[in-house]
Amino acid sequence: MSAVLSQASQGNAQGGKGAIRIEHVDKVYEAKSGPVQAVSDCSLDIRAGEICMIVGPSGCGKTTLLNAIAGFHDITGGAIYLDGQMLCGPDRPKADPGPDRVVVFQNGALFPWKTNLENVAFGPVVQGKLSKAQAAEKARGLMADAGLAGVEHNYPGEVSSGMRRRVEIVRALMNDPKVLLLDEPFRALDQLTKSVMHEALLEIYYKNKVTIFFITHDLEEAIFLGHRVAIMTTRPCRPKKILEVDIPHPRDYAVLTSPRFRELMEETVSAVHEEAVKAFEAGEKEM
Amino acid sequence: MNPKIKPVGLARPRKELVELLRGTVLFSGLSPALIEKVADIAVLERAQKDAVLYRVDDPARDLYVVVAGQVNHAHGPATQARVLTKTMQPGDVFGWAALIKAPARRFATVTMLADTELLRISGAELMQALASDPEAARDVLARCAKMIVEDFTVPAWLAQVQDVPAGKGGSPMVQRQAAAGEIGAWEMFAYRLSKWAKSPTPYLMLVGFVLFFGAWYLLSEVFKVWRFASLPGPKTVLLEWFNPNPTYGMSLYTPDYYVHIWSSIRRVLYAFLISTGLGVPFGLFLGWSKNFREFTFPVFETLRPIPVLAWVPLAIVMFKGQESPVIFLTTLASFYATALNTMLGVQSIDESYPRAAACLGASKWQIFRHIVIPGALPFIFTGLQISVGVAWFSLVAGEMVSGEYGLGYLILASYVNVQYVVIIIGMVSVGVVGYVSSALVRLAGDYMMQWRVRELALGGGR
Amino acid sequence: MSAVAAPPMARPPKKKGPGFFGHPVVRAIISIAVFVGLWEVASRYSLPWIGQAPPPTKVVDAWVPLLTDQGYWYSWFQSSRRVLSGFLSAMIIGIPLGLAMATSRVFNDITFPVFEILRPVPPLAWVPAAIIFWPTQELSIGFVIFLGAIYTIMLNVIGGARSIDIRFFQAARSMGSSNWDIFRRIILPGVLPSIVVGCEVGIGITWNVVVAAEMISGGGGAIQSSAGGGLGFFIWNSYIGASYPLIVVGMISIGIAGYISSAIIRKLGILATPWLRAR
Repeated sequence: MSAVLSQASQGNAQGGKGAIRIEHVDKVYEAKSGPVQAVSDCSLDIRAGEICMIVGPSGCGKTTLLNAIAGFHDITGGAIYLDGQMLCGPDRPKADPGPDRVVVFQNGALFPWKTNLENVAFGPVVQGKLSKAQAAEKARGLMADAGLAGVEHNYPGEVSSGMRRRVEIVRALMNDPKVLLLDEPFRALDQLTKSVMHEALLEIYYKNKVTIFFITHDLEEAIFLGHRVAIMTTRPCRPKKILEVDIPHPRDYAVLTSPRFRELMEETVSAVHEEAVKAFEAGEKEM
Repeated sequence: MNPKIKPVGLARPRKELVELLRGTVLFSGLSPALIEKVADIAVLERAQKDAVLYRVDDPARDLYVVVAGQVNHAHGPATQARVLTKTMQPGDVFGWAALIKAPARRFATVTMLADTELLRISGAELMQALASDPEAARDVLARCAKMIVEDFTVPAWLAQVQDVPAGKGGSPMVQRQAAAGEIGAWEMFAYRLSKWAKSPTPYLMLVGFVLFFGAWYLLSEVFKVWRFASLPGPKTVLLEWFNPNPTYGMSLYTPDYYVHIWSSIRRVLYAFLISTGLGVPFGLFLGWSKNFREFTFPVFETLRPIPVLAWVPLAIVMFKGQESPVIFLTTLASFYATALNTMLGVQSIDESYPRAAACLGASKWQIFRHIVIPGALPFIFTGLQISVGVAWFSLVAGEMVSGEYGLGYLILASYVNVQYVVIIIGMVSVGVVGYVSSALVRLAGDYMMQWRVRELALGGGR
Repeated sequence: MSAVAAPPMARPPKKKGPGFFGHPVVRAIISIAVFVGLWEVASRYSLPWIGQAPPPTKVVDAWVPLLTDQGYWYSWFQSSRRVLSGFLSAMIIGIPLGLAMATSRVFNDITFPVFEILRPVPPLAWVPAAIIFWPTQELSIGFVIFLGAIYTIMLNVIGGARSIDIRFFQAARSMGSSNWDIFRRIILPGVLPSIVVGCEVGIGITWNVVVAAEMISGGGGAIQSSAGGGLGFFIWNSYIGASYPLIVVGMISIGIAGYISSAIIRKLGILATPWLRAR
C-alpha cells in the first residue's frame, strides 16, 4: 500500500490547484442486514490538474468515496485533504459541500425547472458572487465555448442527453472549481454520443486544467481520458492497481487504435475482470 | 468542396435511379415524364463514412435522396423537432430545408454512418422543373409539408415552404399558412382537430351520448318503466332549466339559481385558499424537516382516518353561525389532500438535486427555495387537483346537512319540497362548476410548470 | 447484501446518540399526548375555536359504558355491512368495465365521455335522486356508496392497464400467446397493483359517503329513521340529543373502522401481488 502512496505522491507534474489526498479512509454504513464495509483503508493521491479515472465493478464503493470528497456522506476513519487542507478527518467526519469540488451526477442533476442558462448561472448567483445579469453573461460565454449556443433558453428536458451532460459540466465550471467530481456521467449515453462527449470533455479540460476525479466502469473511456487509472477492489473499496497511461495529451480518437492503447487495455481488463467476478459472485445488486 | 464527397457520374444505371425516385415519399405521385425530369437534374455522389454533408445553419441549396448506405440526420436542438436524431436508409429523402424560401438554412447536421451514395437535387432546379406542372408541384409540396409536420411539434417552417412558381397554384393549406405568416398554437389545434374529426372517436362518443340520454329519455318519459317513472327525464329537465318562467322557480333565468351557485363557489374558494395557504407550507416542512415530521405527522395521521363528513355535527358545535362549519369541513378535506401530496412531492425529489445545489454553494434556505419548492410543484398540483375535487365532495354534504343556500342545500331542499326536476338541475350545475374549477387548477399548474409542458410536448423528455 | 469483511472492520463511531427524544415512536407519543392535552385544556376553558367540543376525558367517560352496549356495536355492524356491499358491487361492476374500456378502443370511445360527464357530480349530490329511484332506503344508500367507490376503482384500472409495458405484450406474442392468454396472464396481473391502490382510496371515500348518507337520510328529517342505524346515524343522533361527547365517540369509531378496512385491503393487496414485495 505504501508503494502506491509514494508512487502517487511523486509526480505533481501538472502543478496548479486541486490535489486530493485520500488517507486510510474507512466507511462503514448500517444496512438493514448489518454493517457494510464500503471502503476500507483506502489511500490515493490525486495530483493537481490530472485526470484520475477510478475504475471498479458496479457497487464496489467508488461512489461512496466520491460522496465523501464532495461532502454528501461522512467517513468512519481516515482523512481527506484538498491542497493540504483537511476536508474531513477524525474530528469532522463529514466535509462541507462547496463550489471548489463540484459533482456531475450519474443520472444528471440539471434542475428541470430552470432553463439551461439559469442552470449554468445558478452557482455564482446563489453564492452571491455575481449578479444575475453578470452570471448570465458569463454563462452565455462558457456555453458558447462548449458549443451550446442556441439552447440557453430551452429547458434541460428539451435537449438531447449528450447536450444535457455538457450543460452540466459547464454549470460546474462556472464556479472555477479546483476539482471536478464526475460520477459515471456518460453512463446513460449511447456509444456515438459518448465518443463525442469524450472529446468535448478533453477540450474543456485543456482549456481549464482542472483536476478531474472521474468514476467509470468503462475501461476504454478510462484509458482514453485518464492520466492515471486507479483500479479499485470490490467491497471494501481500495486501490488494487494504479496504471499510468503514458499516451501523451492532447489525445484524439486515433489513440483508440494505437498499439499502446491495446496493451494498456489488456493490462486493465485482466485486473478488473478478477474484481468483477468477485463482485458478481457476491451477488451485489447494481448500485 | 468537401473532399470526402465526390460526384460519381453514371455509376448506376439511370433506370435504377428513376425507380428509386418513384419510390420516395416526396416524388411517388409524379407522372413518369416529371420523374424523368427530376432524374435529369439529380447528381449521384459518393460520400465516405464519417463525412459531414452539412451542419446546422449551413446554407441550404440541395435536397438529397439516399441511394445506398446509411446517414445520421441530427436536428439542432433549437428546432424543437419531435425526434432529434434519425437514421436515413436508402429511399429516404432529407434536406427539404432547400425548399424553404430564401435565405434557407440547414436545421440539421448530416453525417455518413457508412460509405454512402446520395442523389443530390438542387432545390431551385427542382422548383423550375415542377413549374411545368402546377398540379404535381402542389402534390410534392403537400407531401413535403406533411413530412415536416411529422418531424416537428410546431410546424412553423410550414409557412415558409415555397409557393409553387407557376403562380396561381399552391396547395390551399400551404397558401393559407403562408398568408398567416406564422403557424402558431391555433393552427396546431386546428390540425389536431381535423385529425380527430377523421378518426372514429367523435362519432363513437356521439353514440355513447345518444345511448345514455336516449335510454334516460325513453325509460323515464316515454315508456315510464318501473321506478324510472318517478325520475324527471332529460326533456323535462332541459325545458325547466331554459324556462324563463320555471314551474319550480329555478332556471337559468332566475336570480336565485345564481345565488345558490355563488354561495357554493364562495365557500369552495375560501376553503381552497385557506387549505392551500396552510397545507402547502405544512406539507413542505413535513417533507423537508425530519424533526418537524416526527413531531407533527402522528397527529395528522391519527386524525386523517376520521372521514371528513363525520366532522359535520362537531363542526356545527365548534363553530358559530351557518357559514363557518361548512367552510371548516371543506377546508379540512382539502387540507389533507394538499398537505399529504406536498409532503410526498418533497420526498419524491431526486436526492441529487439538493446535493448538486449544495455543491454549487447554495445555502439551506436557497436549496429550499430553488430546489424543494419547484421540485415538489408537480405533486403539489396533483394535490390541489384532488383538493378541489374533495372540496366539492364535502361541500355538498356540508350544505345538505347545514347551511342555507348553496347547490347542496338546493338539491336536498328540492327533494324535501318534491321539486324533483330541480334536483337534477342542481346536480348538473355542481358537476359543471366542479369540472370548471378543476380545469382552472390544471391550467394554473401548466402555467407554473412550463418546463413540464414543454418536455411533454417533445414526447416525454427524460 | 454481504459485507466482504477482509480487514478488521472499523466500527462506526458512536454518534452522540439521538437520545430518548430522538426516537420516532417516542416523538409520536409526545406529539399525540400534547395534542390531547391542548384539546383538554382548550375545551375546559371553552376557547373560541373549540367551542362546545367536549374534552377528551368526557369522551372517554362516555365511551366506556358503550363498549358493552349492543346498540353501539350494531351501529358498527350496520355501517360496515353497507360499506362492504356498496364497495363490493363497485368492484364487481367497476373492474370489468374498466378493463373493457382499457382494452377496447371502441368501447372506450363510446362509454368514457359519458363516464367523464357523470364523474364531476359528487356522490352525495345523488342522495335525493337515489332515494326517489330506489324502492328501499337501504338500496339508495348502497347506490350512493357504490358511486363513491366506482369512479376511483375504474380510473385506476384504466390507468393501470394502459401503463403496462408494451414489451410484455410483444414478448408474450413472440412466445405465441393468444388474446385470452395475454388478457389473463399479462393484463390481469399488470392491473392488479392499480386495483389495490384504487380500492384503498375507494374504501376511504366509501366511509365518507356512508357517514354522510346515514346522516342525511337519518338526520335530514325527510326519511323515517327506523331503517337508520349505522355510525353516521349514531353521530347525528348524538348531535340531535345534544350528547356531544358521543359525537366524538362516533367519529373516533368511524376512524378506527375506516383504518381497519384500509389495513385489510392493504394486507390483501400485498398477498395478491407477491412480486412487488421484492422491490
